[in-house]
Amino acid sequence: MTKPTAAVLYFPGTNSHLETMVAFERAGAKAELLFLTDVLNGTKTLDSCDVLCIPGGFSFGDHLGAGALAGAYLREELQGQLSAASEKPLIAICNGFQIAMRSGVFGPDVTLDINESGTFHHAMYQRHIVDQTTNCVWLDGLSNDELRFPCAHGEGRFRFTSRDGWQPALRYPDDDNPDGSTDNIAGVTTPNNLVLGLMNHPERLLSDQRNQQIFRNGVRAAQG
Amino acid sequence: MGVIHKFSVCRNDDFETPAHLRARLSDLRCWRDYYIEFEQQPDAASLQRVANALANGHVESVTIDAAMPSDAVQVSYHRGIVDNESDSICEMAALVGVPALAARLARVYQSSSRELVEVIGAEARNPNIETLHETEPELQTLLPLATYEAAQWFDVAAMDDEQLIELGSANGRSLELEKMRLIAEIQTKLGSANVSDALLESLDARWSDHCAHTTWKAAGNLLKVLMQSSSDTNNKNIVSMFYDNAGIWDFYDGYGIALKAETHNGPTAVSAYFGQLTKIGGVLRDILGTGKGADPIGVFEYTATGVPGKRAPIDNRPNPHQIANETIRAVKEYGNTFGVPMMQSKMEFNDSYSAKPFALGGSIGLIPNAMAEQGKPQVGDMALIIGGLTGNDGIHGASASSAGAQMDTTSVQIGSPLEEIKFREAILELRDAGLIRAITDMGAAGVNSAFGEMGEDVGIWINTAVVPLKTSGLAMWRILISESQERMALAVAPENLSDAREILDKHRVRNAVIGRFTGTQRFAVVHEDKLTQQDIVSMDVSKLPEVAETGFDLPYELVTYRPAQIEVAKPRAASRIESSWENVTFADCVTKLAQVAGDARVCSQRAASMQYDSSVGGRTHYGPFTKSDIATGYWAAKPLYTSDAAVVFASSFTPNLFEFHPVLAARQTLVAALIQQVVAGVALTDVCLSDNFYTPHLIDQANEWLAAMVHELADDARIFGTPFISGKDSSAGSTNTRDGVIHVPPAVFIAALGKVPDAVNLRPETWTKPGNLLVQVGLETPSIAGTVAADVFGSSSNEVDEIDVFGAKALLDSLQQVSLDVSPSARMIGSGGLAATAMKGALDSGLGVRLAESSPQMLLAENRCCALLEVSSDCFGELPVQLNARVVGEIIEGPASVKAGDEELLSDAVRDAYFNTFTEVLA
Repeated sequence: MTKPTAAVLYFPGTNSHLETMVAFERAGAKAELLFLTDVLNGTKTLDSCDVLCIPGGFSFGDHLGAGALAGAYLREELQGQLSAASEKPLIAICNGFQIAMRSGVFGPDVTLDINESGTFHHAMYQRHIVDQTTNCVWLDGLSNDELRFPCAHGEGRFRFTSRDGWQPALRYPDDDNPDGSTDNIAGVTTPNNLVLGLMNHPERLLSDQRNQQIFRNGVRAAQG
Repeated sequence: MGVIHKFSVCRNDDFETPAHLRARLSDLRCWRDYYIEFEQQPDAASLQRVANALANGHVESVTIDAAMPSDAVQVSYHRGIVDNESDSICEMAALVGVPALAARLARVYQSSSRELVEVIGAEARNPNIETLHETEPELQTLLPLATYEAAQWFDVAAMDDEQLIELGSANGRSLELEKMRLIAEIQTKLGSANVSDALLESLDARWSDHCAHTTWKAAGNLLKVLMQSSSDTNNKNIVSMFYDNAGIWDFYDGYGIALKAETHNGPTAVSAYFGQLTKIGGVLRDILGTGKGADPIGVFEYTATGVPGKRAPIDNRPNPHQIANETIRAVKEYGNTFGVPMMQSKMEFNDSYSAKPFALGGSIGLIPNAMAEQGKPQVGDMALIIGGLTGNDGIHGASASSAGAQMDTTSVQIGSPLEEIKFREAILELRDAGLIRAITDMGAAGVNSAFGEMGEDVGIWINTAVVPLKTSGLAMWRILISESQERMALAVAPENLSDAREILDKHRVRNAVIGRFTGTQRFAVVHEDKLTQQDIVSMDVSKLPEVAETGFDLPYELVTYRPAQIEVAKPRAASRIESSWENVTFADCVTKLAQVAGDARVCSQRAASMQYDSSVGGRTHYGPFTKSDIATGYWAAKPLYTSDAAVVFASSFTPNLFEFHPVLAARQTLVAALIQQVVAGVALTDVCLSDNFYTPHLIDQANEWLAAMVHELADDARIFGTPFISGKDSSAGSTNTRDGVIHVPPAVFIAALGKVPDAVNLRPETWTKPGNLLVQVGLETPSIAGTVAADVFGSSSNEVDEIDVFGAKALLDSLQQVSLDVSPSARMIGSGGLAATAMKGALDSGLGVRLAESSPQMLLAENRCCALLEVSSDCFGELPVQLNARVVGEIIEGPASVKAGDEELLSDAVRDAYFNTFTEVLA
């Protein structure tokens, strides 16, 4: 059987693409790096692969705010392709989540603000609880599980003014919310359950099979 | 010129207001002003689109062209310094359909307080690089505009000594009389009527201690001493050592690990933020510029500065408290953005570093061994500069820092991590495509050093008029020696230029062909704006073009500088003041243990290190913290995603000890680093070293101590079989201040890099089982001198213990035979002694310990060459005699506790001091 393809989108400043590609390869996909430059010049498209990942990093140095410029590219130049990619499994991690948020993937009423502490926070084994109500394809079979993987961000405080366009998928435990996210929300999905956005990094603990289930789920969903 | 509009972006809450400023100005409000110069006058709708794009509408509001309030001040870079965000702002404007020419960012502070100007001027502005505006600045254009300054010429050969001295030190140069006389000789040999300022500046940089290691060469070619000892080890893991930007240590599966550390002491003293920012950026470039390009996979840093709360000893310099905080901000912003995991970070406070801090940054990188050989340019190759723009920043960084001179405004380097991460990926792709003939980083002395050294074998011709600038009108010499950051120098074969540029363009990396490698064995620098890049690409290098202005054109043999050799005798140690613990009682220990636990050498520095990304890359296997957030003694990672082989890193440095006897301190430092590696599970023959010497130049016996330390380490490396593969020296650690000359101690920071075929065999530090014994192994260093206890209890001893090197070798040989079955965990003893080590072990594991003895010396002596092994009582007898094993305690059930006699040492006050002191110091 042909392996599903997973495109890992690369902006200037992306820095988590290698481990993300390894995670997809181990999950059974054929991973490839997709350069923004190639998408803008028409050589490649956002929706040509079976799975799209917007990985972590500091796209454009996070100038004008985390994910602001990369998000503007997706919103202003590539909206059609992004919408098409959102009809397949798509995962947006950390800066990718910020980019997806800025591009409107999760609707107009959500944002990721500066951490409540006012600074970057790193924790190797941050705790997350898979929301028991989620039907997100990336979290299939993990409902209510506790997953531990690295937290590494400075602008991850999830805030919202309405619930249009998104549903909670991951939460922090009440006593372990590293950024002050509203309702302890650590990750969200779209109404079609195909898109997962999360601030933290399951791809970084490559030897942790429970975390890697997230990538296996995404690849499996791409296979139909 | 275009049309400028201002966009003021302000959060809807006061979240952006720094707490330390709010404490001074209770009604303070802060926001950002973006100035954008548009190509044409935008209509109102276009302006609004730009405004919306600049702000996060959920949490920020934006106003257009609002005048600065009369009770506000604005802080922005001096003219001539281009904002790092300028390109991104213009790109955002273009994305919403309003093309822009240039942009500028400013921070605004508003308060009704009369102290506004004073507080912001002192606390929120760096006068070296930033201007404080009390009224709206009048901006005609944001574009850098200036007229080119032609070169100045001097008849140096006709000058007398007084004139030579004056010219040598004019314009911020640090050319002493001896060097000026050499330049006069060069002029005579060339038969020239005069020499240009470009030549003076080029040689000032080239002959500086930073670039030419003059102190080391004059004191007996010390680098050669270290290199010879490394060769003598015959260690087969050496792939390269010293001659490249980093040393390379063989790893597994055809890969090597590059290792390098360097310091930015001078720049950090002037601007802590940019000094520390660029130390990280600089060492990462060193790794990228090693061989045909290595990929940085880890970064480490160490900072020693003055004691927070005290004034800076030089006016208009950051004080220790500011340096501490700016260090954290800078290390966080560069390392996290670049995407390289923090391996180890540490800060110490010591008055000796109050004038010129020790700002060390290091990195390791992964490289295929097949790419490890440093490339050599060929005749006809393109001199390709990639990365950031060249500006009026970082001028005289190399020479001024080397000479211990007062660094001026333009010495400050402005870092921009985005540029570096872009070319990081591009370089790796260029390397793997075989498109790099040679590469080096552009650090100290910029184009002059990078391309100048690259061209030594074949000759190089450079046209400074085509170097991409961020400050227009720069004189030739400024373009040559500017240390503007995030640039790399490449030699690319003509037939590969097109493919190379395609890759660079894909990664959005700015690039320009600024010269050619010529085959003349000459170093030539010209400024001719009629010659375009295309002209340079297509020119015949055997027929170099006529130009309007030639800064210099001379054979490389003339620019070689050989400093006069100086007599270096064996140093004389100060009269010994013997160590004594007699005045310290157990009751004192209990009473003052919180003070020990709160000392920066002991306490948790999580307030800083939790801001550093230590997991990016997915390679981190162990450290820099345990699961209980206790700092680990070593760090390990699995560099190859396809293998469990691990690289292991540890470092050692105790500045207080070097104050008393630098040579014996150096020996202890080296042995401690090696013991940590072996305790972790690395075979001694699989360990290599790097050295970073930071020494004063105005103390009695400065060169003697330096040379003696180098010889000591060379001898030790030979005995242990652990070669030094890279290093760096900073020999200008004496600084004139308001309070007199402040000297750093003659000292060396040692990093040790090891490898193991399977990470599963590494020994963790977390205690595993109640009932197991805690066994001290190693060579004791019982003196109170240089310890935390000495400071807490006021000891004046200067007695540094003399470790027996051969005993240490026997110890290490035996230690590596101790299996994980015999000892499942181990932790080095160090600052704060056994008491601190036991405390960390208990807090880490959640278990307790009952110590066997309770004498002050047993608790607080810093046995730096000892480790605390966890050993089951059944296995204690199996420990080799060479380990000098001694049971010092027994692990007991939790909760975490440290019991000595009837006393519980791990009191609430001790815990509080350990976890919270560092945070309080930074507040």
